[in-house]
Amino acid sequence: MAFAGALRTRITARFTGGTLLLQVALLALLIVTAGFWIFFSVAASGFTSDFNLFSLLRFAAIQITIGFAQMVALSIGDLNLAVGAIGGAAGMFAGWVMQSLGLPPEVAVLFALAVGLLLGFGNALLITWTGINSFIVTLATASLITGAMLIVTHARPFSQLPDSFTGFSEVEVAGLPISPLVLVMLAVGVALLVLYRNLRLGREMLAVGANRRAARMSGLSVDRVVLLTHGLSGALAATAGLMAIAADHTASPSLGSDWLLASCVSPAIGGTLLSGGVVSVPGTILGGVLLATISNGLLLVNIDNFWITVFLGAVLLLAVVLDRVTRAAGGVAS
Amino acid sequence: MTVRLRSLAPGLALGLLVIDVVGILVLSVVTPSFLSTYNLFVTGRDLSILLLVALAQMVVLSLGQMNLSIGSIGGLVAIIESGLMVRYGVPVAAALVAGLLLGIACGVINGLLVYWTKINSFVLTLGTSYVFAGINLGITHATPFYHIPAEISSFGQARIGPFPVMAALTIALTLLLATFLYQVVLGRQLLAAGGNPLAARLSGLPIRRATLTAHAISGFLAAVAGTMLMAQLGQGQPTIGATWVLPSFAGPIIGGAALAGGSAPVLGTVLAMVLISLIDDGLVLVNADPFWVQFLIGALILGAVVLGRTSLSDIRAFLKISPGEPRGLESTR
Repeated sequence: MAFAGALRTRITARFTGGTLLLQVALLALLIVTAGFWIFFSVAASGFTSDFNLFSLLRFAAIQITIGFAQMVALSIGDLNLAVGAIGGAAGMFAGWVMQSLGLPPEVAVLFALAVGLLLGFGNALLITWTGINSFIVTLATASLITGAMLIVTHARPFSQLPDSFTGFSEVEVAGLPISPLVLVMLAVGVALLVLYRNLRLGREMLAVGANRRAARMSGLSVDRVVLLTHGLSGALAATAGLMAIAADHTASPSLGSDWLLASCVSPAIGGTLLSGGVVSVPGTILGGVLLATISNGLLLVNIDNFWITVFLGAVLLLAVVLDRVTRAAGGVAS
Repeated sequence: MTVRLRSLAPGLALGLLVIDVVGILVLSVVTPSFLSTYNLFVTGRDLSILLLVALAQMVVLSLGQMNLSIGSIGGLVAIIESGLMVRYGVPVAAALVAGLLLGIACGVINGLLVYWTKINSFVLTLGTSYVFAGINLGITHATPFYHIPAEISSFGQARIGPFPVMAALTIALTLLLATFLYQVVLGRQLLAAGGNPLAARLSGLPIRRATLTAHAISGFLAAVAGTMLMAQLGQGQPTIGATWVLPSFAGPIIGGAALAGGSAPVLGTVLAMVLISLIDDGLVLVNADPFWVQFLIGALILGAVVLGRTSLSDIRAFLKISPGEPRGLESTR
């Protein structure tokens, strides 16, 4: 008990120590995002139209959920390179359940989430059983999952999804340019906030991320935390896959193949430490909004889609470098 | 570290060698077309390119870092070279020199970013990979530069019997890299810095030079691989390198490299890439679904690291050496 108490104090100290910096970083991120919104409102005609805001926010909601899936893995100091593979496989599975089996969307959603959860558990079991780095394990399982999905589906998309499912992404909530997918993302965000702020498991995840050895020595079951974390990461990836097929109206076999940057950018911009132990749910949301704003706005001012890739890569580099600089200035060694 | 190099690598390499030989024998018996001149040429050519890709990753892994931008560098270099030759009529030699220098420059940028910021090389090279790939697509709008000069495209088709001429270049570069890592002082320092960065810094090793050199070599090998694929395709394809992330890690990891650095299994990487080529070719020859390649490479990576991990702990248990820390802590592989 004494150990657990001491551990909790240490985590809290670290957590609050980081919070001040995080708040400064969040404020900076908010100002930058607001700056881009003002700039594009003036420079890009049609940026503030209902139609554009609707698709921007819906795109942001999907990007943020992808970011959440990575953020959860990062919180224990692991990486999940299989976020895209799991999201793609779960999305394709949901498409198959709805189109080929003709089952209702609710069932398909549950099945897809279960697939994501199980694949995440699979990652975790491989990591804890073998003691192999999560980078290698998820690199390999990403290849296994995507390969298996392509073999099973023969790379054929499911494009006749029921309207009751795809319609969900098209409605405007309360007359505002907000898709229900945005509400799904916010609900997930609130749940994650509660997890990391108030629940024992969330604190344990951060403890494992901050110092795995210390967490183990204090009697924490690291293997259990790793299992639940990767399961959650997989379920979140599946959620993002479901959101993406609802927005695209089709489950395509290439779904998830380009998620790696998106999954890392939002958490990294938002102040989540890649080495583990520090997460920021609002930061990931703001990071995803910034990402979506830049992609959307640059397209509207007629900048080639291809150059936007350069910009996003540069934003990621800038964010991590700035993060390092502010942390060094704040005297926090990470 | 040297102990680990000596004790682990030969056993692993021997195992891979046996698997490779068995694979070759099985393929020769099952599909007679495996030994046809054309098949050997095509397989050897793919292997020549992907081996350089794997070595480009291995040299950075030996430092305990990684390079996710190998494919983007290869693609950008191929585009710049073919663009210079096709669009601007630059002489072949000048275009190639410019391309290879660009590859080295991209590597040095990676190295400088990693050294200056001390940030995880995963996220840094993920960022630069999108920058390099974006420049490639911004220039080409995803349209290839067709009709590169015949000197280059004929190099891609050149063969002596079943042996592709470009294999000679790969073999020469592999031997040079092995000599550098095992015989040259800077190469040894690079491995030492990867094996124990703190000790290396305290003993005054030139960490900055080692980091920049490793990333520059990685960029150079990626550039050569991109150039070779351009020569093989006969055009500057913007998609060159897009699928290199998996093979770049599969080779060194199956070949026995540790993510934590300190080991540079050149022979293991070569044998692992031979195995991957055999799987790839075998699946083509038996008309299997091409998606099986991706699946099997994933399985192979897991299988190889699990086997490697098992034998290591078995040896520990046998010798009754108490492990320094519980299994799985700060795992390096």
